[in-house]
Amino acid sequence: MNRTMKRLLTGKDSRQGRWFFALLIALAIIVWLGLTTERFLTSENLFNLVAQAMPLIITAIGMMLVVLVGGLDLSVGSVISFTTAILALGAPALISIPGVFALAACIGLINGLAVTRLNVHPIIATLSMQFIVLGITRILRPVSGGDVPQIVIDAVAGSFYGIPLPVFWGIVTVLIAWKIIHGSRFGLHLFAIGGGIASGTDEATHNFGVADKQKILLAYVGCSCFAALAGIFLAGRIVSGDPNVGLLFEMDAITAVAIGGTQLSGGVGSLHGTVIGALVMALLANGMNSANISAFVQTAIKGVILLLVVGLQSRKKMGL
Amino acid sequence: MAALFNRTNFNRISRIPPAYFVFAVLLIVLWIARPHMLNINIMGIFIRQVVPLGILVLGQMLVIRVNSIDLSGAGVLLLINFYISSSMFPGASLPFFVAISLATGLAVGLFNGYMVGKRRVSAVIVTLAVNIVLVGIVQFLASGKPPGDVPSIFSDIYNTKLWLIPTPVLFWVALALIMSLFLSRFVYGRYVSSVGANPVAALFSGVPVERTVIVAHTIAGLMTALASLVQTASIAVGSVRVGHELPILAVAATILGGVVFGRGEGGVWGPFFGVLSFALLFVVMTTFGIGESGKLITQGLIILLAAIFYGLRTAKSRT
Repeated sequence: MNRTMKRLLTGKDSRQGRWFFALLIALAIIVWLGLTTERFLTSENLFNLVAQAMPLIITAIGMMLVVLVGGLDLSVGSVISFTTAILALGAPALISIPGVFALAACIGLINGLAVTRLNVHPIIATLSMQFIVLGITRILRPVSGGDVPQIVIDAVAGSFYGIPLPVFWGIVTVLIAWKIIHGSRFGLHLFAIGGGIASGTDEATHNFGVADKQKILLAYVGCSCFAALAGIFLAGRIVSGDPNVGLLFEMDAITAVAIGGTQLSGGVGSLHGTVIGALVMALLANGMNSANISAFVQTAIKGVILLLVVGLQSRKKMGL
Repeated sequence: MAALFNRTNFNRISRIPPAYFVFAVLLIVLWIARPHMLNINIMGIFIRQVVPLGILVLGQMLVIRVNSIDLSGAGVLLLINFYISSSMFPGASLPFFVAISLATGLAVGLFNGYMVGKRRVSAVIVTLAVNIVLVGIVQFLASGKPPGDVPSIFSDIYNTKLWLIPTPVLFWVALALIMSLFLSRFVYGRYVSSVGANPVAALFSGVPVERTVIVAHTIAGLMTALASLVQTASIAVGSVRVGHELPILAVAATILGGVVFGRGEGGVWGPFFGVLSFALLFVVMTTFGIGESGKLITQGLIILLAAIFYGLRTAKSRT
């Protein structure tokens, strides 16, 4: 086996991590579902799958930004619920959509400031933010309901030359994320900062002249904005605001990121891995649904997968 | 006035856990707003409500001091509640339930400890995933519905009083005393401090770092089991929704009580008063008519502010 194949399979010495493994899992599930379920390979089911996977793909991409710098954002689920609640307030789309992004950016800013300037552990900062945002969401919208702007619903439910619009959401999001993560100096700095943190030399990039605190702050802002985008998509799909729609979304996003080969200690990961990881989660959900597995068991299985995936990763640091 | 805010005084004041200040402030607020609430019977009932939280905090304090966290409490609580309230073990006696609960807590704690200490997996991920798995299993077994009733012996014990103080409160104080003595008299307490302060230095000094972390998680699992027994006795029915906010409240109370991630410092009594502060906070919020959402926001703000308070302190002491 030559060196490239070895690197692809084990993810050793690779900045992109063990994403190839995730691709093999995804292909295996597709083959298995294609053989066992007859309506799996219909275009209707596949397009449906894309629409189901889209919120998770978007959230996972955002989550990856903070995971790359060795952080975690547990508030994304609440931000998603919050976004649907704001959109369902009935304000015109011209105000509410930019407003949602502005509010999400504020939440990300507070997370980032707490982590970088006030020295709070990322998990504590984002966990408390999860509670605060969830509380505000439940005040705004105690039960699901409300009117989502028509343009949001059309942007999710419509189709263009026979191809449903969620596919285009996916293409546009991935292009933007590709530019951020793999096509800009900001993305390169994220990898560098995270690599430093993962190997225990937090100051390394700072000493090389990278404004590390500012970049970490921006990663949190980006994460919240991607979560808001996922929230807009979900609001269009469920056509209402729902305080519980984002529940446990942060766990799914972390699982997707981890399956995609991104190291949770930071510095190693790839966009395609994350997208594939999210697709694996969606494929599993699709398969388990068609096999009539209870939703409760599905949650438990997702937890086991998360345990397996992170249990296989190795890192130096112990504890949080 | 300026002298009050100079560095020495700031450091001196910031050594005192915020829980004591919060407790004092809430006590004054309650004394001004509702003076008749401050008698031993009413306060006994309110404090009795937070006993499960208090016991959970005893374990949480330990894992947080070794720079870890345990968020799997809600799953263990649901599982133990399910054991007792469903007809899974028909006609079982009280000692059997206590034994199987402790065994469950022990198993979950050992697993958490193994994954965190040996496999070096992020403690948040492990314990949250364990939580999800346990909650999923219990909800599947119960098909999402409340399972049934709890044998009456549980609530009988729960409702007893010794002198004027409810038994659960005494149980909690006794456990806190034992934990306090255990950490101050045994060498394990020193291990916890040194691993929390600097795991690398501890390892090179011959401290069994991995074992310390695993034992901390195991004790936390046992405490969770005890807390679950008390909580089940207090609600007296089976439920698939109870206590999902308990682990995070335990983290909040611990941070409020002066225990910080990766500092190794802090005692048992700071978090103890952190829990009492939460008991008072619930009373104050209920009397002022603040609903569930308001409570969520307040809890989040308290965790964030306490963490910022400590973050600022570590930033100051490093420079």
